[in-house]
Formats: sequence, structure tokens, C-alpha cells
Amino acid sequence: MSLFLHYLSMPYLLMGIELTLQVTALGLIGGLLLGIILAGMQLSRFWLLAAIARGYTVIFRGTPLILQMVFAYDALPHIGIKLPAVLAAGLALACNEAPFIAEMLRSGVLGVDRGQLLAGQALGMTPGVLMRRIIAPQAIRTMIPAFGNEAVSALKNSSLASVIAVQELTLRSTQLASSTFDFFSIFFASGLIYLVLTGAISVIQLALEWLLDLDRTTKPRGLADYLPWRRVDLTPKPEQANKAAPPEAPELKETPPLALSIEDRARRAATVARNNVAVEVKHLRKAYDGNKVLDGLDITVRIGEVVALLGPSGSGKSTLLRCINHLENWDAGEIRVGGRKLGFDEQGRKLSPRAIANERANVGVGMVFQQFNLFGHLTAKENVAGPLRWVHGMGRFEAERRALELLERVGLSHRADALPRHLSGGQQQRVAIARALAPNPSVLLLDEPTSALDPELVNEVLEVIRRLAIDDGLTMIISTHQIRFADEVADRVAFLNGGVILEQGPAHEVLTNPRHPLTARFLSVMEAERPKDAVA
Amino acid sequence: MQTRLFTKARRAWLVALGAIIAAGLLAPVGAQAATPAGCAALKEKYPDWKGKTLVNAINPHTPGYESIDPKDPSKYVGFDIDLGEAIGDCLGFKLTYKPVTFAALLTTLASGQADIVISDIYATKERAKAADFITYSKVFDGVLVAKGNPKGINGINLSMCGAAAAENTGYVEVPLIQDLGPQCKAAGKPEPTLQLYDNNANCIQAILAGRADTYVNDVNTVDQAVKAYPDKLEKAIAVTIPYSVGIAVPKDKPKFRDAVMAALIEVQKAGIHQELLKKWELDPANFKEPDILTAD
Repeated sequence: MSLFLHYLSMPYLLMGIELTLQVTALGLIGGLLLGIILAGMQLSRFWLLAAIARGYTVIFRGTPLILQMVFAYDALPHIGIKLPAVLAAGLALACNEAPFIAEMLRSGVLGVDRGQLLAGQALGMTPGVLMRRIIAPQAIRTMIPAFGNEAVSALKNSSLASVIAVQELTLRSTQLASSTFDFFSIFFASGLIYLVLTGAISVIQLALEWLLDLDRTTKPRGLADYLPWRRVDLTPKPEQANKAAPPEAPELKETPPLALSIEDRARRAATVARNNVAVEVKHLRKAYDGNKVLDGLDITVRIGEVVALLGPSGSGKSTLLRCINHLENWDAGEIRVGGRKLGFDEQGRKLSPRAIANERANVGVGMVFQQFNLFGHLTAKENVAGPLRWVHGMGRFEAERRALELLERVGLSHRADALPRHLSGGQQQRVAIARALAPNPSVLLLDEPTSALDPELVNEVLEVIRRLAIDDGLTMIISTHQIRFADEVADRVAFLNGGVILEQGPAHEVLTNPRHPLTARFLSVMEAERPKDAVA
Repeated sequence: MQTRLFTKARRAWLVALGAIIAAGLLAPVGAQAATPAGCAALKEKYPDWKGKTLVNAINPHTPGYESIDPKDPSKYVGFDIDLGEAIGDCLGFKLTYKPVTFAALLTTLASGQADIVISDIYATKERAKAADFITYSKVFDGVLVAKGNPKGINGINLSMCGAAAAENTGYVEVPLIQDLGPQCKAAGKPEPTLQLYDNNANCIQAILAGRADTYVNDVNTVDQAVKAYPDKLEKAIAVTIPYSVGIAVPKDKPKFRDAVMAALIEVQKAGIHQELLKKWELDPANFKEPDILTAD
């Protein structure tokens, strides 16, 4: 026991810790940098980069670290690269860690909800902004446990540097054991030192997890606030903000459902008919693996017009909306929004993903998704304000003011600081609508905005949309199964089937008196299935 | 007056010290104090290494030859260490040490990560493919066994059939034991098994743990192990092996090889080699005049 304590406190062994940590740090930092490059290459659009990264991974994940150490130390000098032992060990460890870290990064990135990426794209985020603001903050949170594991394993693996004369803890222990013959006391002592070091890594991991926990209620200004993507709320917030609010406050004033009289409708139709064209789709064709989804579709939407797209699943409604926002490419045909032809620059060349993102932001097409697709790591307010700052370069205060104003408009100002996962589906969809409205889009696309909602939550969302249509005169294209809602809100209804519009016309007319037999059948099926109380 | 008295006293002390050195009781001080006379001429003849610091790759798991100093683990001590420093002293260079596994000694030298290897390595024709050797010591191996020698092993011979032998990766004893296989078979006995480790301590632990029956290595290493565990280990016998211990230098530096050889001759002429053998309690019969061993 006294021998054990003697070795445990021996400066010679303790000095080995420094080299152990140096090699580990080199391995982890180098591995992280290399891993980021590798993961980037693997996720790249260019197959050659992905193939090179794959090849690297196969080699460095598939050979023992000890060989890599010896290679870096003894083979590299033959081609003129003579690294000091610590650097050679650090290099080998980094090269070995990189594929593992790259896989962690890749799974972290791929683990972020696809819908959020789509929403980010729809808001005009470039791939870079999307990575920095949406993917990275969420991926990093999920990767911390795996990274902690990797750090512990790197620390233990650094002991292999003993084979290339790095005087780290293990090499010092074995030399000491050889000269004193106190084999076990020495190895227990060095084992305990390793345990303390790996224990420290676990503590750091847990602390980071705690700091980055979005659900932490008390929020002292902590490490998380200094992370680049984190925005600290600088404005004093009224205390009524969170749970103090009366339960289920009167979020939306109980107004009688807005419905237009026949005269109103006629007047609206006449006004709209004189307006300029907002969206023009010509001969749009698109197929997935030979399956025709859009088969030469034409549609024109005028400014201020509300068009409801009806039709069975797979009729091409969602695809059409995604094409109008250029979230999807199409095979043939043309889309113009506000007179501008999408997807091509002035010379008629195809745009890069980055240029498409900028185009989206400039053209002003907002989109609301069936699954809401709110950014999970951001509060309701940040979901709205963030894209304004990142995409439209709005100032912090202005963006925040605009966000609060919009949340107020959808009746959610009291939930401004809540995370999406703490909101009901209806509330989430209202935040999503506020987010889509924030940059003042010229056209708002709504892709089955109430399909994912429980029946009792449908109304609050429909009410918000109804007001946008009637009070604000916003141009909207809505794909929906809510026949009655379409009747109340839409100026025009278009019935899609097999990737073309079978029938379109003034909403009330088509819905009450369909001409095409397929439309009639669809409507009668929908009518029969409709829960009696779903729509007020 | 006082100063002179002092000087006188010191001189007397030095004389006494010299006497002690002559008696071989405090050899290391002697080794450091007196650079052999011929060395000045060598420094003239081979000026390239004067004032340099060279790297000596060692496998510091052999107390007596090279290991860290248990009292001050930041230092390496042993016969090879002192001999290397005496040679360095003669040619005007200093040495730093790079501890590697035994099997990595020559690779480390070949890759340029070390300039010289003085680490109780036996010079063989095989190894001379990787480095040139200046031999300086005869080889006597000891056979380390558990106390009482339960398997009755008495050398690298048929008594080892069926036994488990611990060896270091890359040791010359490894092929010798492997060669026993067919002989044992011919005699109708089971072949010996080999366990390969990467330092002496692990080989010794293998016997202590009952995993191995024997460990054949330099007799001095075996003696040290018996000294450390007198209740558990013993030396069965000493055997001669047809090799010499050598200093390894890079193949592409014949001038350095010649300089080291010349310096070793000076060191031996000055009696330092013998003094060091005594200092480290090694058999004076180990002494050998240097030869050069190359692959061709």
C-alpha cells in the first residue's frame, strides 16, 4: 500500500500525464478537424469526394492504431517527414479518430429532422446558414455523449504512443516496473491515474450535457450563452411570459367565423381578376423514378387570390407546392413567381443550391408544412426572428419586434419563449404560420396545414388562415382536405388528379356543383368521411 | 597560506580518489574524469560529431545494462549507458535517450529517429541487414526458471521440449527455441511453446504468474531477476550463445561507424570498459575487443 502511494505521488509518473494529455488532445482536435472534413466529403454532392472519404475511412478504421503509430514514426521519415514522437503519435491518433468522429458527425447531421431542413430551405436559408443555425446546434447536442466516449477511448489509446518512445504514463510505468520490479504497485498507481483522467472527461461530458440542455428551467448566463449560435435575450421580458399565463388564455378572440356573402365574393372575384399574376405555372412535368407526379400541369394565381388545391393523395398537390417554392426540381415546364422565372439565372443557366436559396429569399414565397417543422432547439420567438436575421439581415431588435408582433397576430405572444415541443400541435402550426409570414412573402403556400392536427385543434389554425385571406388579402395556395374551409376561404378551387388539374373554378361553384365525375366522387367521399364537428 | 593549504588538501584528496579508482571501487567517477589520451586526436580526425547531441535508442528494461534509475527515474543508468557516454565523451558528443521496444530498436535507427543503438543487442548477420554493428561484448545467457526448476530445464536443448518459454519479440533466443521444435518431435517429445512479450519485466512476470516455465536471456538480466525474487526464481544454468553484443549504427554512415569503433578502442585501452563491467557487477569475461559486423 505504501509502495502504491509512493508511486501514485511520484513526480516521474505524474509528469507522464502531461504527455498523455498532449497526445490525447492532438488526437482529438486533429481528429475533429479531419473528421469534419471527412464528414463534409461524405455528405457532399460530388461523388468523387465521397468516394475518397470512404476509402480513407476503410483504411484508417480498418487498421490497428499501433501500426499507424509505428508508421507515422518510423515510415514517414523515409519520405522526409521526421516528426517528433509526440507529434507522430498525435498524427496517428488523429488519423485514427477521424473516421469515427466523422461517422458521429454524419449521424448527428442526418439525425436532424428532415422537415426542419425543408423548412429552413423554404425560408431561404443557404446550405451554410442551415448547417450553422439549424443542423449544428441540434446535432452537437445529440453528439456530446458519443464524443465523450470517443474522448475516453482516445485517452486510453494514447497509451499506444509508448511503442514510439513517447514518455507518457504507460511507457513511464513499464520502465519503472522494469527497473524496480515493483510491477503491481506501479500498474495499480498508473491505472488509478488513468481512471481519474477518464473520470474527469465524464464529468466534463455531463456538465456540457447539462449546460446545453434546452429544458433547463433556471438559466444563469452559462457556457451555452457564449456558443456562437446562441442568442441571449437582452430585452427585459414581462413576467407573465411563461407558465404564469392563465391556462389556455383566450388566445384568439372569439369572433364569429368570417364568411363572405355572395355579393362579397363576386366583388372579390372582380378585384382579383384585375390584379397582376402572382404565380404562373406552365406545362409542369415531374416524375419520380418513372412515376409521373406532375403531367403538364398549368395554373395561374393572381395577387390577392386564394386557391385551394383539392384531390386525392398522390395527385401531385404537395409536389406542385414544393416546385413553386423550388424545394424540388422539375423535369420540364416553367414556373414564374412575380414574373421571375425560377431556377435559372439571367443567362438561363441552372442555379446552385446556394443561389436557389437566395432566389427563394428574394422572390418571397412562404411555406407552411403539414408537420409544422419548427426548429426544435429554438423558442417560438426565435423560430420567427432567427430567419429574419440570418436570411434577411434584419437587426436583432427589429427582428424580435417583428416576431412578437406576428406571434401576437396568431394569438401566441404569451408562449413566445416556449420550445416547440412544449406547444400543442395547433400552437406549433400557428408559430409556423407566423414564421412563414415574417419576411412578408408575396405568396404563402400551405401544404395540408391541418392534416396532422387533432380535430379539436384544427379550428384555431383555420381561423388564423381565414383572417390572412380575408383581412390581409394575402395570396395563398392551400392544399387541403377541409372542403368546407375551402368553400369559405378560397376564391378558386382546383381539383388535381394524376398530376393535372381536372377541374377548376370559383370555389362555391365547383364544390356545390362539380362538373367532372371524379371531382364529384371525391367530394362525396370527403363529405361522408368528414367528422361532423371538425369544421365550425 | 590558507589557499595553498586548501589546494594541498584537495590534491591529497584527489590522489586518494585516484587510488580508489585504480582499485576499481568508484569506477564511474573515473570514467567521467579521465578522457582517454587518444581521444583528442580522434576529435581532430572525426570532427563531425563534436559538440553534437545524438539520440541513443534503448530498450530500457534491462537493469544493469539500461534502465531508468529507480532513485531518479528521469535518468537512465547501466553499463551500456556509461559505455555510450564514454564513447561520446571521446568523440565530443552528448547522448539523449529514446526508449522503444526491443523489436523497434533497429527500425527506429533506420528511420533516422535515432543515431545510435547501445542497448545490449546481439549482433547477428540477420540484424546486420538493418544496421552496422561494432561488437563489444561476449554473450552469456542464463536460463531463468521458477524456484526449484520443476521442469528440469538445463539449456536450449531437449530439456525444453514441452515447456513454455517466455521471450522478447525480436530476441535471438527466439529462433533458437523455435529450432528445437523438430528436434523434440524427432525425439518423440512435444514441441516447446513460445510466448512473446515486449520487455524483460513482462517475461519475468510470465514465470512468476506460472504462465511460462523459462526465460532465456543475458545472464546478468537473469541474475537481476533472481535477486529481485529470490524466493520464487532461480537461474538454472548459463549457456553460451555464438553471438557478440554490438553497438548499432546506420548502414549509410560508415564514417560514423569507424569513429565509434576508434573511440571504443580508446575507451578500452584506457581501461574504462573493464572498470564499467566491475561497476555494474558484470562478469569481466564479457570483455571483447571490437569488431565490425556488416551484412556483406
